[in-house]
Amino acid sequence: MDTQNSAIAQRKLGLIELFMVGAKKGWNVAINTIMPAMVLGYVLVQVFQVTGIMAVLSNVAGPVMGIFGLPGEAITVILSAFFAKAAGAATAFNLYAAGTITAAQATICVMPSMLMGTLVGHYARIVLVSETNKKHTALMFGVALFDAAIGMLIMRAILAIMGIN
Amino acid sequence: MVELEKKEMRDVKVTVKPQGWIALIIMLCMFSGLFAQMSGPLSFLKVLDLNTLVGAFGTIGDTGKNFMGAGGVGARDGFMFALSLAPSCVFAMGLIEIFTEMGVMEAFRKLFTPILRPLLGLPGTAGLALVNSLNGSDVAAILTKKLYDDGEITDDERTIFVAFQYPGSAPIGNMIATQAALLPVTVLAMGPLILVVILCKLIGANLVRLYLKASKNKNKKKEA
Repeated sequence: MDTQNSAIAQRKLGLIELFMVGAKKGWNVAINTIMPAMVLGYVLVQVFQVTGIMAVLSNVAGPVMGIFGLPGEAITVILSAFFAKAAGAATAFNLYAAGTITAAQATICVMPSMLMGTLVGHYARIVLVSETNKKHTALMFGVALFDAAIGMLIMRAILAIMGIN
Repeated sequence: MVELEKKEMRDVKVTVKPQGWIALIIMLCMFSGLFAQMSGPLSFLKVLDLNTLVGAFGTIGDTGKNFMGAGGVGARDGFMFALSLAPSCVFAMGLIEIFTEMGVMEAFRKLFTPILRPLLGLPGTAGLALVNSLNGSDVAAILTKKLYDDGEITDDERTIFVAFQYPGSAPIGNMIATQAALLPVTVLAMGPLILVVILCKLIGANLVRLYLKASKNKNKKKEA
């Protein structure tokens, strides 16, 4: 396998072959990265809903989420994003499909899904691998949460300027 | 291999092949959604719009629903949803592979290197790691560690750099791969969304930059 790979690497690939290589990576991402996260995200939503946690969380989180122009239910987006970016996106889409949030609010949800997404997994892959000074651990989580908050506010402002609600 | 990487990192002067710039322009056109609404005689320009090329699923019978149907919940619906995202993911990653081979990363690097100092207070040698961090997280993290090991950046500069990389990691790659679910309904195209994410990353990292600077000054005062 290794010799085969290096032989391919030495030969310059044509456009179509290059596309095929990337497309296969894309399939791998869809099935091995996105799909498990989606299943997790959808099951989490189901758990939140069946147990009634969703209703409680929504009431508690309502005022806070309101700052970002989102209904209380959107707290579930934040919770699932923490586990995986794709799970955050899936949860937000679920809320959109159910009519709980509008398309504009779904756009705001992209910000926390990205900026505070996959925080645990990527802590190992980025912060630990780069050997960032251990005394700044809290700072790293803090900056991710801050970025997500500022992202939602900026997006809300942009949408307001564009006149979309 | 390691030596080569080191040389590459030190060599701030990046040469961009003409096709690298072409790739950058095409990529920006496709991801920005600039040509999504073209109509009339210019409607052929839609060919430069990613979502147009990704297309749409057909509907089943006269239900108006695609193969996912309506009313699904739980793991089964999550699985079907992930399947529905596969085509755009496969297509976009195939394109990115071609753009990368054409030299789009070098073009990005050329653009970013001179503005690294004002943007994040980092030397130009961090350009390769920065560009890598836009599309993936692992290589950039290893490069960042190497920058510190080679004495190119200080411990505090590494903390600032990681504060940029860690939140919203790999904004370009992850916007495609993980937000595919939301992108069809968002009111902004992928390009502007990526820009806002990068803007937030910069704001956060600069806050850390200020914080570290302040605490450094404080320590200096204590010593004096």
